Amino acid sequence: MIKALFSILIFPGFLFVSVFGLFAEFFDRKIYARLQNRVGPPWFQTFADFIKLLAKEDIVPCEANPRMFGLAPIFALASVITVFLYIPLWKTETLFSFNGDIIMVLYLLTVPTLAFFIGGWYSTSLFARIGSVRCVTQLFAYEVPLFMSILAAALLANSWSLVDIVIFYTRHPLYCLFNLIGFGISLIALLGKLEKTPFDIPEAETEIVAGAFTEYSGRLLAILRLTIDIEMVVGSALLVAVFFPFGLTLAPITGFVVFMAEIMFVIALLSLLRTVVARLRIDQMINFCWKYMVPLAIFQLLLNLTLKRILM
Amino acid sequence: MHKPEPDKFKIPVGPQHPALKEPEGFSVALKGEKIMGLEIRLGYNHRGIEKACEERTYIQDLYLIERVCGICSHSHSTCFVQAVEEIAAVEVPKRALYIRTLIGELERVHSHLLWLGVAGHEIGFDTLLMYAWRDREIVMDLLALITGNRVNYGMNTIGGVRRDISKEQAEEVLKGINILEERTKYYIEIATQETTIIKRLSGVGIISHEDALKLDAVGPTARASGVNRDVRYNDPYAAYGEITFNVITDTHNDVYGRTLVRVKELMESYQIIRQCLKKIPDGPILTKVPRKIPIGEATSRYEAPRGEDVHYVKSNGSEKPERVKIRAPTLANIQAVKHMLKDRFLADMPIVIAAIDPCFSCTDRSVSLENPGDRNKEIMTWHALRTYSIEWYKKQGIDFTELNNNLKNKLERR
Amino acid sequence: MSQEEKIKQELINRFSYLENIIKIQRPRRMSAEIDYNNFTEILDYAVKQLKFIHLCTITGLDEQDKLGFIYHLAQDSGVLFNLKTSVFKQNPEIKSVMPYFAGAEIYERELVDLLGVKVEGLPVGNRYPLTDDWPTDQFPLRKDWKPSSDK
Repeated sequence: MIKALFSILIFPGFLFVSVFGLFAEFFDRKIYARLQNRVGPPWFQTFADFIKLLAKEDIVPCEANPRMFGLAPIFALASVITVFLYIPLWKTETLFSFNGDIIMVLYLLTVPTLAFFIGGWYSTSLFARIGSVRCVTQLFAYEVPLFMSILAAALLANSWSLVDIVIFYTRHPLYCLFNLIGFGISLIALLGKLEKTPFDIPEAETEIVAGAFTEYSGRLLAILRLTIDIEMVVGSALLVAVFFPFGLTLAPITGFVVFMAEIMFVIALLSLLRTVVARLRIDQMINFCWKYMVPLAIFQLLLNLTLKRILM
Repeated sequence: MHKPEPDKFKIPVGPQHPALKEPEGFSVALKGEKIMGLEIRLGYNHRGIEKACEERTYIQDLYLIERVCGICSHSHSTCFVQAVEEIAAVEVPKRALYIRTLIGELERVHSHLLWLGVAGHEIGFDTLLMYAWRDREIVMDLLALITGNRVNYGMNTIGGVRRDISKEQAEEVLKGINILEERTKYYIEIATQETTIIKRLSGVGIISHEDALKLDAVGPTARASGVNRDVRYNDPYAAYGEITFNVITDTHNDVYGRTLVRVKELMESYQIIRQCLKKIPDGPILTKVPRKIPIGEATSRYEAPRGEDVHYVKSNGSEKPERVKIRAPTLANIQAVKHMLKDRFLADMPIVIAAIDPCFSCTDRSVSLENPGDRNKEIMTWHALRTYSIEWYKKQGIDFTELNNNLKNKLERR
Repeated sequence: MSQEEKIKQELINRFSYLENIIKIQRPRRMSAEIDYNNFTEILDYAVKQLKFIHLCTITGLDEQDKLGFIYHLAQDSGVLFNLKTSVFKQNPEIKSVMPYFAGAEIYERELVDLLGVKVEGLPVGNRYPLTDDWPTDQFPLRKDWKPSSDK
């Protein structure tokens, strides 16, 4: 019981993942800044921002539905933290692992987007409404290739459990090479999930101010920002666990460090991607997802099915 | 919030909005993501400069007009002095004309680089913004080196320029230009190769050749629609008559074309600057002009970075002008925006507005000292406002008296 | 014959009363001060026959009992023709030049707001450049108008 509470609240639960998420945001911003030839923020910037936001007043618009407006961020945060409990961090084992948890993880990762939609919609601001509609429109475009490519990897490992997938790819590291297309697709889809350039359409600053978050302030905004930071960490961790989960069989500490480094590598890739492109328009984004990413994901799926026939 | 019509949203973009660098009102009617209608409300920046000019002397006006716009300050002041010099029939020294041309082109370089960055930001490509603005520092430093200021150079005066340019400065300029030329080539490469940029820019904000002519578009906006119109070439002023350069036009008719025109114009500007520094004659930089300007009127045109700038000055024989009329390039282009946004997406709006390189403070030219919403017309002077703020803070329990006294003592001791 | 002379000659051939009115101030600068009754026909000729297809701007002037308007017309050759006309200050009214220059709308709105002239044929739209609650009898660019903050 105490062990479970410890895992949920401290490690690898709430506290650890929050600190890690804020650190990841700093890491992302620093790389982004260095690539743009800027200095970038100091290491404590994201923490300071977070604490400052917590101290600020929450303003709920008169017209907004206060319950939905207030609950949406908390739902979003809760779901992303829960995901972390299912990802193996320092050894090939998690707390609540069961067969089929990868499906649950993918669904839990969808919850924040829906929560943003609800929060944005119920804040009744024009900008927030357009932003939240864009959120959901985008969701349908990137979610399909993301699911397909991750499930393709699971298919090859012949399991719906993250732990089993990790064990499988640790034993057969060369099989990871088959999933390279899937990794690329997931990485791009993750950009959409995290609402980062070129898919930062739902919060396109120059068009709709801050999209679904326009009316948020104070603690609720802090929670939303923390959610996105954690989503970035969790999403990257999921990609690492599925596509190249090396090092977890090493000693706990080394394994943990290697795993963290791999997560940072994925985050660095995300930063690099968002440095070199411009924001797409929503129609272009949907076109791109359905025209190129989905066929590629289907190809990956077929490839893995064939491989499974041949290899096993 | 008012209940929106079932499938039509009306979004206010402005007077304050992240896409706009200055206050201006655009009201967009949306159906889904499509723009169904657009209403433009200008005038938030009206400062009554034209009226203010009538109450000041020509020399004072010069400083006021330099502040019409922060980016193209040299354009406005040159345009104004040209008109006054024409009325006074002053022969301006050749060297002064070359220096004006040089500063004008450096200003164009800094303005176009600024635009490139802003355009990058509007389409969510912040890397381009950071790079372009980093490089813009080079030209800003050059301007500061020659004139002493980064903006509002204060170079022009009636009858010539106020500062000469030394050999060392000229060399520095050449060095800076060489670096910038390399960088610009890189930007041309990016603009013509990066897929997401091309996707966001081409086919957006189209204005046909005929419409551009009909709506009196000017500058790069018009030139990107194939209108071969450049005051530097058609109606040469300063030293442009003795300098060879190409007028850059493009037939894309869209934002992409406008981008190409601007980056290619940068390359032309570097050539002009080099020629200027090579051909610049020795001699005086200023002719004395009496304070009283004889009766007369003159219209002066100038190709500002954003397009044709027009000043009309009428004098009545005294130290103060009878009338000064300023037409900034944005005013001529803003009417084309409505055309460009027809049936486009909301996402295209920022870049389309940015693509004419709007400068609303030029356009509107007000320190309306009155509170416009207040019917009683209670006017607060600067002094009253200051007293009010001190009293207000005292009521809040914050007293600045001591701080102010300390500051005063410190300043006096110097 | 220079291009300015040619334009001048063509105008005089068409409108003999312009004989002593058209001036050439310097290369590429011409001007003429005309009666408002003749304005439309001269403008029509200048735009359609002489290819003055670019309207730089319209300057409004306050001349004691009259309001003056200068239409700065430009050719692509660089020649600028300042066509000046005026109407009496009491109940001033001019016709919109939007049929010739679609872009003239904003310049004419400026005349309406700042000088208080009525422009016939101007479509309904927002004011420019003054605020919506600006009093309708205050015209800042008239000479008798003083900003109240100076008092």
